[in-house]
Amino acid sequence: MTGIRRLVRPEQIRELSLVVLIMGAVLFFGSQIDGYYSARTFTRISTGAAILAVVAVGQTLVVLTRNIDLSVGSIVGFTAYFVGTQLAAHSDMAPITAVLMALAIGAVMGLLNGLLVAYGNVPSIIVTLGSLAIYRSILVDYSGAKTVTTESLPKWLVDLSSANLFTVGRLEVRLMVVVALAIVLVFHLALGYLRFGRRLYAIGSNPEAARIAGLPAQRTLLTAFVVCGALSGLAGFMFLARFGTITVVAAQGMELQAVAAVVVGGVTTFGGSGTMIGALLGTILINTLEQSLIRWPEISEFWRDAIQGLLILLAVAADAVIINRLRQFWARDELKPRAAEPAPAPGESA
Amino acid sequence: MSETPKLTPVLEMRHVSKRFDATQALDDVALTLYPGEIHALLGENGAGKSTLIKIMTGIHKPDQGDLLLDGQPLSIGSPTEAQGFGIAAIYQEPMVFPDLNVAENIFITHRSTGAVMRWGKLYRDAEAILAQLDVRLDVRAQARGLTLAAQQTVEIAKAISLKVRVLIMDEPTASLSAHESAQLFKLMRTLRAQGVAILFISHRMEEVFALADRVTVFRDGKLVSSKPARDVTPDGAIRDMVGRKVEEFFVKRAAERGDLLLSARGLGRANTFTNVSFEVHRGEVLGFAGLIGARRTDVGLALFGIAPADAGELAFQGRPVQIRSPEQALKLGIAYVTEDRRQLGLSLPMSIVSNVSLPMLRSYLTALGLIKRGAEVATAEQYRQRLAIRTPSVQAEVGKLSGGNQQKVMLSKWLNAKPQLLILDEPTRGIDVGAKAEVHQIINELAGQGMGIILISSDLPEVLAMSDRILVMREGRQMGTFTRAQATQETVMTAAMGQVMS
Repeated sequence: MTGIRRLVRPEQIRELSLVVLIMGAVLFFGSQIDGYYSARTFTRISTGAAILAVVAVGQTLVVLTRNIDLSVGSIVGFTAYFVGTQLAAHSDMAPITAVLMALAIGAVMGLLNGLLVAYGNVPSIIVTLGSLAIYRSILVDYSGAKTVTTESLPKWLVDLSSANLFTVGRLEVRLMVVVALAIVLVFHLALGYLRFGRRLYAIGSNPEAARIAGLPAQRTLLTAFVVCGALSGLAGFMFLARFGTITVVAAQGMELQAVAAVVVGGVTTFGGSGTMIGALLGTILINTLEQSLIRWPEISEFWRDAIQGLLILLAVAADAVIINRLRQFWARDELKPRAAEPAPAPGESA
Repeated sequence: MSETPKLTPVLEMRHVSKRFDATQALDDVALTLYPGEIHALLGENGAGKSTLIKIMTGIHKPDQGDLLLDGQPLSIGSPTEAQGFGIAAIYQEPMVFPDLNVAENIFITHRSTGAVMRWGKLYRDAEAILAQLDVRLDVRAQARGLTLAAQQTVEIAKAISLKVRVLIMDEPTASLSAHESAQLFKLMRTLRAQGVAILFISHRMEEVFALADRVTVFRDGKLVSSKPARDVTPDGAIRDMVGRKVEEFFVKRAAERGDLLLSARGLGRANTFTNVSFEVHRGEVLGFAGLIGARRTDVGLALFGIAPADAGELAFQGRPVQIRSPEQALKLGIAYVTEDRRQLGLSLPMSIVSNVSLPMLRSYLTALGLIKRGAEVATAEQYRQRLAIRTPSVQAEVGKLSGGNQQKVMLSKWLNAKPQLLILDEPTRGIDVGAKAEVHQIINELAGQGMGIILISSDLPEVLAMSDRILVMREGRQMGTFTRAQATQETVMTAAMGQVMS
């Protein structure tokens, strides 16, 4: 038993159960929907998940610190619209310029959130609820209720969403999907191997201890919000490439999906715990359900949001009960006094 | 172990004073720590030990006095600076990061490690430090699952990794089992052998005398004695701790002892307290004395149904009862005034009126369920006069009042519930001398009106002066019950510290 516990962490059990859930969902919908097992389904789910995954990566950084960013949907929408109009106006703009523009806009919006949270000591739920509304309002005002259309966009951008990197069997793996996976991987490594990543965990884990230990908590928090904003900006660019048609309500409600993906993926809202792989799996599950429920005639579209909400509640409940049990089981006996010592009375360490 | 007068002290404090509002927390104290020495600091609650620690770790600045490190004067501006000077503190409740593993916790504050984590090196270094301390602990284990003892070990390892020279241990054994304590003592001896100066604070005499090289006693913010451990006896130390002249502003007016109100037989709650028995009569003040961690508050919480007792019997006014919730306790006629005024006792942003009527709001409702504002105000006015709450208006925000007046508002709130038994938990903590006398006056009056009162207080002279009988607890156990005639500072303190008086 000890051997297994040494190789596997409780978080990984959780991730494994998500994989099982995703497979279960795919099998279920496969039996319910005609022609579900097709290359088209794969492309649809994978590109949808790609955009959400990039947002979820940023959201994970913020949630790890015991905060939340509700403005990501508005950032995605604004960036998509703004970059779309710029590309329509300057069709000779280099692709890299467009991407950098998206990142920069997102970063500035994240910076404003971060400054208020880290240095203004305003709770992040309030700050980002406010900026959710404000960023969306700026978009409405800027757009004058006009729509960015696919026809107005340069060809390279329109082609980007269907750009294929490689094909596995009949399944096409799109460039955007690979980009998203690369981002997940980079941040997964960053959490594991950068001091910045460790500090995110430490701050979310015990803010008071972080302060006493003299960690640069404010700076770390600010960075998390800026990166989250920048990634949302990048997601906005991907959103533009995928849909082409951008209205003022673009990506509205994406904050719910992002939070759902992260929480379902095991990043706890109490901070300090969770992984990028978990967030990615949460994203895939949320998106698989979203895309599949649309095609399942048994359920009305009004129930889709409810199912998402239910999933969040289930995930939080599972965290409260199952993961804690697992953790206790993993932690038990770690410091067993060298043989033949009486076990401390239960609850002594409580 | 050995006296080391010829060495230069690592840390020396001279003529240090610190004042908080009305309280002189430290008054011209001195303390000298030598390398390779375990130095015990003794004193009652409020003797100034915590203030001293906070000065040493840079949380507070002294008003006067000098700190010298290796004979050089220094000033410590923040906990981070203190760490830089090699001064670290370990508290009763370890400050670990539960989601990080042991190795990460040890090195999280290190600035020397680069931006990129080198996990292999991290684990090797952590293992080396733990080996140096001669403890076995999985460096990859999450801190969340560790016992308190193991978490403390992690904190000690962290201190060692920061090249600690002065280690302050504030009641580190308070929550440890005997076995865990023994491990900790071994660790302390190892550190001493490595030349670390340890300032050890403990209420357990047997620990102090088993470990310490030198014993210093503080009382009321003043230095009373500082001697090599071999020249000190437990009795002598206790005498030094309590031997103040009792300031005689505590005036007890004995009320007539009435019918039996509450009796408890073998009361207990798992992992909290066991086998506590007592009786409270009308007109009587039963004092609960003990040190921090004696679990007196838990008995109060059990009687009020917040954390109900799970063993023993309770009878209220002769009828057996099981108190499971505060609502039930209130219905019986029991009220509990918490020690934590700001967090649990009052709603600080609300007015005096709203605070006072809160527990009894039901009796201020009209037939339609609306609140009778006029009646609320009348009640608050009544208590303002009766308890002399100093405020321009009963509509004032409670958070803006002084500590003494807040205490009176809290008393009003619970007196308005018309209790027969009133449990007062540290009713005079953190309030000035004048307000304190007024609170004592109120206690006398209430007892005189036939209310039964349980007075939980860490202020020994106060308990001695105000109580008809005194129940002494230590670590969840009843150490004895003294009548007013039997109770002296020495007998109560000796029982509270678990010493048998010789």
